[in-house]
Amino acid sequence: MAKLFPLSASAGSAEQAAWGDDARSYRKIQLLRLAAVAFAAWLVSLPITIASGSTGAVFGALFVPFLLDKFYQTGRLAQFRLSAAITVALLLASVGLLIATVLRNGSELSELLSASALTADNPLALYSVGEFIAGFALAAAVCGSLHLLSQRGGAGRLCELTFIACAIVFTLTAHRNGMIDRPFMLGDFALIRGYDPAYLLMGIGTVSLLVLTAINLQEANKVRAVYHLATLAAVCLLLIVFVSRFGLPTPELTNNLGLTGQQGNGGQEDNPFQDSTNDPKDKAAPVAVVVFHDDYEPVDGSYYFRESAYSQFNGQRLDYATRADMDTDLLKGFDRPTDSRDSNTEQSLDYAISPLPDAPRRAVRTTIGTLVPHRSPFGLDTPTAFKRIPNPNATRFDNAYEAISHVPLFEFDVLLGRKTGNKAWSDDVAAQYLTLPDDKRYAELAASITAPLKPEFAQDDFARAWTIKRYLDENGIYSLKNAHAAEPDPAASFLFGDLTGYCVHFAFSAVYLYRSLGIPARVGVGYSVPASNRAGGSSLLIQAIHGHAWPEVYFEDVGWVIIDPAPQQTLVDMTTDPQDNLQQLLGEMLRNDSSFEQFVNAQRESTFDPLASLRQIGRYLAIVAALIVMFGYLAKIQRRFAPRFGAGTRRSLTGYRATLDRLADVGLRREFGESREAFAARCASYTPGLTELTSAHLAATLGAKDSTTNLYQSRTKKSGDTKLSALDWDSLERSVRSELQTNFPLWRRLLGALHPFSWSTTR
Amino acid sequence: MSLDYVTADDESQAAIGTSPLDPSDPQHELAAARETLVRLLGIVKETVIGRDEVIELCIIALVSDGHVLLEDFPGSGKTTLAKTLGEAIVGEAVPLSSSDKSTAEQDLAAFRRIQFTPDLLPSDVTGVPIFDPSNNSFYFRRGPLFAHVVLADEINRTSPKVQSAMLEAMGEKQVSVDNTTYPLGELFFVIATQNPLDLVGTYPLPTPQLDRFLFKLTMEHIDRDAELAVLSSHLNRQQGNTGQEAEKTKTVTQQSLLRARRAIASNVVISDAIKVALVDISRELRRDSRVLQGNSTRSIVLMLPALKAAAALDGRSYVSAADIEKLLPHVFAHRLELAPGAGDVKTLLQEIMLPAMEQLARSTLR
Repeated sequence: MAKLFPLSASAGSAEQAAWGDDARSYRKIQLLRLAAVAFAAWLVSLPITIASGSTGAVFGALFVPFLLDKFYQTGRLAQFRLSAAITVALLLASVGLLIATVLRNGSELSELLSASALTADNPLALYSVGEFIAGFALAAAVCGSLHLLSQRGGAGRLCELTFIACAIVFTLTAHRNGMIDRPFMLGDFALIRGYDPAYLLMGIGTVSLLVLTAINLQEANKVRAVYHLATLAAVCLLLIVFVSRFGLPTPELTNNLGLTGQQGNGGQEDNPFQDSTNDPKDKAAPVAVVVFHDDYEPVDGSYYFRESAYSQFNGQRLDYATRADMDTDLLKGFDRPTDSRDSNTEQSLDYAISPLPDAPRRAVRTTIGTLVPHRSPFGLDTPTAFKRIPNPNATRFDNAYEAISHVPLFEFDVLLGRKTGNKAWSDDVAAQYLTLPDDKRYAELAASITAPLKPEFAQDDFARAWTIKRYLDENGIYSLKNAHAAEPDPAASFLFGDLTGYCVHFAFSAVYLYRSLGIPARVGVGYSVPASNRAGGSSLLIQAIHGHAWPEVYFEDVGWVIIDPAPQQTLVDMTTDPQDNLQQLLGEMLRNDSSFEQFVNAQRESTFDPLASLRQIGRYLAIVAALIVMFGYLAKIQRRFAPRFGAGTRRSLTGYRATLDRLADVGLRREFGESREAFAARCASYTPGLTELTSAHLAATLGAKDSTTNLYQSRTKKSGDTKLSALDWDSLERSVRSELQTNFPLWRRLLGALHPFSWSTTR
Repeated sequence: MSLDYVTADDESQAAIGTSPLDPSDPQHELAAARETLVRLLGIVKETVIGRDEVIELCIIALVSDGHVLLEDFPGSGKTTLAKTLGEAIVGEAVPLSSSDKSTAEQDLAAFRRIQFTPDLLPSDVTGVPIFDPSNNSFYFRRGPLFAHVVLADEINRTSPKVQSAMLEAMGEKQVSVDNTTYPLGELFFVIATQNPLDLVGTYPLPTPQLDRFLFKLTMEHIDRDAELAVLSSHLNRQQGNTGQEAEKTKTVTQQSLLRARRAIASNVVISDAIKVALVDISRELRRDSRVLQGNSTRSIVLMLPALKAAAALDGRSYVSAADIEKLLPHVFAHRLELAPGAGDVKTLLQEIMLPAMEQLARSTLR
């Protein structure tokens, strides 16, 4: 036990001993650690404060641990109890926060300050200062405490490393799942300069990894350290090569309804009812962005993007149509060119809609960029033409194309009394759109639902369809978890069971009910985005959560009309935070024209500009520097002219000090520990008079109090006088001054006179 | 800080000549004291060439009632130094400090040299009572210690017994033989030497005994010009002692030296800042891990009169930092016991005294 004690008591020195006599590399590692902590503090501060607060945090994280390092070397710090030290740190942080709050909340003090020149030009400056102080105090307390812990060695060191690692990892994970603009500060920084933020983040991750490893290897022997670092560097290089060769990993979406055609999702493509992998945490991931070239506001409050449809009954359930003459309004798969993504091939859709006067439609041009691969192009209901366009950002967009859609502008009323089905369909095709499972219950339920209809609507297709939709709205319960997936006919299980399921269940049920009534219907698959998401802009972000399936009915001369059940009860929260910035950003990126530059500039001015904050900080620094310089000149003048007014006992002091200031102006300074006589002797070649002045001064300060004369001061002493009069001092000082004037050129003296702090070196 | 003494002397003469002198005026007393010292310095320097610093320190030690240990090599002029110094102090008979009339009439020699050897006995140094058949009684026959200036050559070669007799004489200014105590002259001054390189068959002085010496001076070889000057003056001396008469006039009276000692002690001011600096340096030395044993409080006490003498010799009525810089290495170096590997003691002292000297310099601007 006795042997253990000194080990634990001197962890710091043991650490140093591990580096042997190589104290310099130990110090370098300490500096590296400081830099890492400051960087981590910066990352953590980014989302919670403004630029000045982040700057304060960096300063706090640098300053306090640096001081601690300095003090720790003296050994006095080790005597404090850790809890006491941390309590002090937290108290200081509280005081700092209090000051910051006072500054930010516009109290009398802050009003007083804002009236001053410092903040007159910028009302936000006070807030910035407050944020700076708060950031400084918090970072100083947290990083100081962590640093203190780490200096105690052992597990304490892990705390600091964990802090650094967490700060970096949490920052980088914000970027995942296609949130390419996260974290905003880094994302915007990279994007407005035209490169992918992912590379920036990877760079940060790589450097952080290296730094952390370097710190971690403190105790290891150096040969092994080199080996570790080399291995790590090789791994990182491999990663970079992989990314540049194969591209960035795309987000894997689980709730895609087969839209993306991704493999490995448990055969969801085959069975849309397979919901076991549904995971709401991916719901915010962006999958595509749409830029509207024409303004359009949907009548029912949602944009529908149809990608494909389940229309052909395969004996068990509805599936993609295998017949070429079915679903002619849909494109089967991307016509992907093999040579390059940028080739400009038109993928036209042979589909025409002739809008009726009472059911008007309008052509809307959109540009769509998919962020993840999709099996088919999709367009705003109802797309009539697709055209591939050059990919504006190959690392970001998987595919980019233009779509022209004839969007419906009519209300559902116009469908009343209209016939369903298409005259152009062959009988076979028309029969396909009416096929449903061999289950009597569908027809029975449809009949019972439509039974209460008024006689004049009893045979009207739209009225019956709408009634069925209303039935599902009122009785269905929306839930991502359901018990129907394993059933042979999940739709039946849902419809005749607990009526709890998600869009696929509702859509299939509705389609089966329609078909049982002889209404041609299919399940449309794609995205449905609330119109409010557009937020007045021209771009619309489609996220994974917007993946949707809905029932459609074909009305004669009108086309496929979406009659989407909207269950009134829901068990899951399917809302997401609006991603206005990301939406706008991706939209501008997709638009790829001069407005992107404008957007970039606007972003630079409005949201984030490191140069502006630097300028702001620079302005404060300039003011502070000016104040300091002014103080320097004031002090210099005061010291220079003090002998004029001083009298009596202080006369020798002020006069000698003023003379020393003059010497300091021309660069003559006493060394540390050098005696005044030695200094005078050193200067004797420039100012021989200084020797005499020095001995007079020393006689006044070190000699007897009643007699301030030197023993042999006869040359300057008036006969009978025992004390030097003010005149004598003046003549002594004047002789030094004139010697300086003759021995130093004018420019040297002027330069010295301009130096505001030459007096500070006077000792 | 080297000062041209001849000029200073002239200056002081002029000062004394022009100002109305009052014998009781402290300024005048100090001026007279300095005149005496500078005069003595001039006399010795004329004979001993190239040893200005050592001579100056010896005179400071003489005036401040201390003794000097020289660490040197043979033939470096220490005998000449001691002899010249001793012979320069003559004149009025100095009354012995006690009323022992039997020895009072016997005048003290100006200079004696003792070559210490391992077989030397205390009585060889102090003297021995001898039976006088003419009046049937013992009379004390004085040893070589009864002189103003005693050169104790190679003091570390003799037995501790003899060393202790020497130390009693140095400390108490008296000699005890056969339970009888014989006083020595008030100006009793010992220059002891030891050869640091030749340690075979020596009894090195332990640190407490070294403490009795005010200064330990290390003599280095004199420079080229001085050595040439020594050769030419040596030839002159051999050709004929023509300068004998002139040399006789170049003396300083013992009385004037004693007056100077008193004047310096009472009139030179030591400010508190100086004392603070001395104590701070000592404390810092004792705290330093490279120093096993620091200097004693006595060393600082002994140093004060030496500082005053140095100041007076420099023409000042106050002690300043220059005096500390001049004396401190010679006072402290032999009193310290350094840890192994601590390096050179002078360098260590320079380093340790720096902060205190800085404080001292700054204190004059407060």
